[in-house]
Amino acid sequence: MITRLIGATCIDGVSPSEVRDLYLSGETICSKPAAGQRIGAEYSLPNHIVVAGGIDLHTHIGGGKVNIARLLLPEFVQHSQTQAELDDRNSMMIAALSSPVPGTWETGRRYLEMGYTACFEPAVLPANARHAHAEMADTPWLDTGGYLLLGNDRLLLEWIATDVPQQQINDYVAWMVNAHQCCAVKVVNAGGIDAFKFNQRHLDIDGQHPHFGITPRQILSSLSQAVESIGLAHPLHVHCSNLGVAGNIAATLATIDAAESRRLHLTHAQYHCYGTDGPHGYSSEAKQLAERVNATPGLSIDVGQLQFGQTVTLSGDTMHQFANRKLAKPRKAIFQDLECQAGCGVLPFRYRHEQYVHGLLWSIGIELFLRVEDPTRVFLTTDHPNGAPFTSYPHLIRLLMDYDFRMSIFDRLHPDVQKTSTLPSLKREYSLDEIVQMTRLGPARALGLVNRGVLCDGSLADVVVYSRRENPEEMFARPKMVFRRGTLVYRDGEFLNPSSKATMVAELEVDPHMNDRLHRIWRSHYGYSTELIRIRRDELLSSHRTVEYTHKVGSTTPRT
Amino acid sequence: MICSFCSLLCDADAAHGDRTKVFDCSRRDQSIVRLSAIRENQSAAPSELVERSLCEARAHLKAADRVLITGRIASVATARSAVRLAAQLDATLDCAEEGHVFKNILAIQRSGLNSVSLAEARSMTDLFIVVGDDAMLDACPRMPMALQSDDGQQRMVLLLGSFRDESIQRWRESGFVVWSVECQISEVPKALNRCYEWVTGLRSTAANPGEGSFTLFDSMVRSRYTTVVWSAANLQVQQPDLWVERMLQWIASQNETTRCAAIPWSSLDGTFQQVCTWLTGFPGRIRFQGNVPHYDPGTSSYDHWMAGRGELVMGQDALDKSVVVVIDETATSTPFLPPLGWNAQACRRIELTPESEVFKTAVAGAEVPAEVFRADQTVLARVEPFLAIGTHVRSASYWLEKLAT
Repeated sequence: MITRLIGATCIDGVSPSEVRDLYLSGETICSKPAAGQRIGAEYSLPNHIVVAGGIDLHTHIGGGKVNIARLLLPEFVQHSQTQAELDDRNSMMIAALSSPVPGTWETGRRYLEMGYTACFEPAVLPANARHAHAEMADTPWLDTGGYLLLGNDRLLLEWIATDVPQQQINDYVAWMVNAHQCCAVKVVNAGGIDAFKFNQRHLDIDGQHPHFGITPRQILSSLSQAVESIGLAHPLHVHCSNLGVAGNIAATLATIDAAESRRLHLTHAQYHCYGTDGPHGYSSEAKQLAERVNATPGLSIDVGQLQFGQTVTLSGDTMHQFANRKLAKPRKAIFQDLECQAGCGVLPFRYRHEQYVHGLLWSIGIELFLRVEDPTRVFLTTDHPNGAPFTSYPHLIRLLMDYDFRMSIFDRLHPDVQKTSTLPSLKREYSLDEIVQMTRLGPARALGLVNRGVLCDGSLADVVVYSRRENPEEMFARPKMVFRRGTLVYRDGEFLNPSSKATMVAELEVDPHMNDRLHRIWRSHYGYSTELIRIRRDELLSSHRTVEYTHKVGSTTPRT
Repeated sequence: MICSFCSLLCDADAAHGDRTKVFDCSRRDQSIVRLSAIRENQSAAPSELVERSLCEARAHLKAADRVLITGRIASVATARSAVRLAAQLDATLDCAEEGHVFKNILAIQRSGLNSVSLAEARSMTDLFIVVGDDAMLDACPRMPMALQSDDGQQRMVLLLGSFRDESIQRWRESGFVVWSVECQISEVPKALNRCYEWVTGLRSTAANPGEGSFTLFDSMVRSRYTTVVWSAANLQVQQPDLWVERMLQWIASQNETTRCAAIPWSSLDGTFQQVCTWLTGFPGRIRFQGNVPHYDPGTSSYDHWMAGRGELVMGQDALDKSVVVVIDETATSTPFLPPLGWNAQACRRIELTPESEVFKTAVAGAEVPAEVFRADQTVLARVEPFLAIGTHVRSASYWLEKLAT
């Protein structure tokens, strides 16, 4: 069946925005139907914009740490409205989530009702991968994928310490990505999570791991080489060393250097660009980082913007989560050391306008957005739920598009932030095209999703219609319609048809000997065989679930 | 693989290629024997009877004012189906034996947690403190094996509680240097505090009484990574959640200077708790209302229902319209037949159990494939079946989906 969207402004950040008709034919977009093809549905949409489905490339929506955050904080769940009331409400403003870490059902629905159709869990612990996929399978409406967490797995550290050939590490990384059905690789505080297990409380980029004697720089170099060599579309996704520590800009810039000009993605960058100046020894170095991003074509960032209010932080970075334990609100936390592979720390947190550091972090995040020139290399994230729940995206979009609104929040910050920040001098206001680039086109390119993020002939018909409004927060909070694979699934606050889902995976060439080798090592290191954790492709399939490839053996890797 | 009878790793079985063969695991042995006996005595119910019973069950559920969905749920698929059915029926949902898990959960929700997974503990730990009694080993006979690494290094285990010589011997045979101190479990958190303070005090004054206890305690204080293990199901203390909370606080305090973590040992019901948490935001003990889950660890618990309190305290008419859906997809040696309290006698019961006359339910991970969490709640494994299954036996999730339609 062909659906015709008539007279809306089509924006995809590639072609110039224009008022035109858009046709959805089956699961894809077509520029014009062939003669004789019947139009099954038509929607007249003057004064509306049409964009591709949103893509969140860094949001914690599945796996062990998300679930223990839910477990830890049942008191955060507030169903002020029944589900029926939520479904029926006419307000254009998106209601608060029932919790910063809602259940999967709610997560899927709330993303869809903002116009997002694909989300990626950025920290899949290998031992936990089946769990992460199971949770994401239960998140309705969204296509999902996961980034495999490496760089603190003891086997890799051991191999780097013993100078094994880089090819062996490449083969290992490829095997791990395949076995855990992921589409990218993430490293969190390279070596630092493991160092914490040996009671080391700090590890700078050139500091030595207490057991293996290697440095984070070596790990980053080795992993970034591996990711490039095996052909993953998404570059190494890096959570730098020294998260949240004053002066950590040095480690962040050194991390970029450690990749030796290879492509790199720095995640939740606002937590990693602090100086030591200012009245409290804590200052913004967003300008330095943004300048480096602007000057480095293969480098991208997501911001991890914080918003004020209660949330919960969860991270594989046990070392730094533990360091912040006394800041937890309410005062309780969970720390886990996991399977010789990584760890996790879960801390409830409340960001306040009047707190100096919180205000500074807020302004640094906004600064990064405004200083990075190319919106396809800076992505709109809150590192959900770390900086804020994902439902704050419409608010964040308004902050970027409306200088006066931004300043009205800035004026509420701690006086010392107002005195020292350069934010008032940054007059840039994002255009609609730029917002679309940073939430659709950019993430799709960064992940190698060649048929998403744009409104071109042949692209996937994940399409969102927003009513034009003066206030971008209202506009992006609630689309008029959402199509998934050409089918209308959401209209005017109502969820219509259940839609099928896809898991995004990379299919890589794997050294046939690696399986036997790892099987033996796994038995001695972890006490069980690789078969226990290896996920078969058919486990990801069902009547409503398919698999899509971000990279397939024999194909050319799309590049950012 | 993960053992479908105790949720522990039993990789040795898979490695030897014979998954029915028992390797020094009495529990697994008993479960297989019991299951075989059940199946030998069962025949297929006529399909008309099954259809009629399904229709009746659906009618009861539809007409019910109050529904409790409970039992022993061991797999992801069944947990998902149970949550869906509960949401559809606005039912109360709580696993029957979750009481054990909830002792840990309630403490964690108040105090937080420092924990470690099995492989990590095997690799990093130089001292295990195991708190409990023989029942803990009976429930999980392979625990010593699961905690021992094959890296050739001797590790120390301190058994606190009440352990028979045979139990102590099992730890020794697994390669541990064993210290066993018979004590009241309730006193353990306090005693550990005192012991650490005492040794630290002695060391700072350079005094050494030369007693064996000092050697033990000194080793404890020198430990670089201590792991404390308990199984809430086997904690013989009053108010176990408070005991767990005190232990968690002690462990947290240790981490100010060294590394220390817990393994709050779980069992098959941990899988239900995980799935229920990711679907609803809550680990169980929930009541759906208008499709929205409400968490109430007190009145929505299985025990509360079965005692005939709370929601069941109402007129006889209402009791007539109460239905309990009982699910058991395990081969636990005690069959699951909930003891209905005085005020719940009038409840209708729909049974999805291996013994059920109509809805014969397969054992997850033994007769049908299952995704099951390991006892430390870290690894979710897919467990392939290794026992033959009759055509009349279906997975619990199959029956639940049938009841939902």
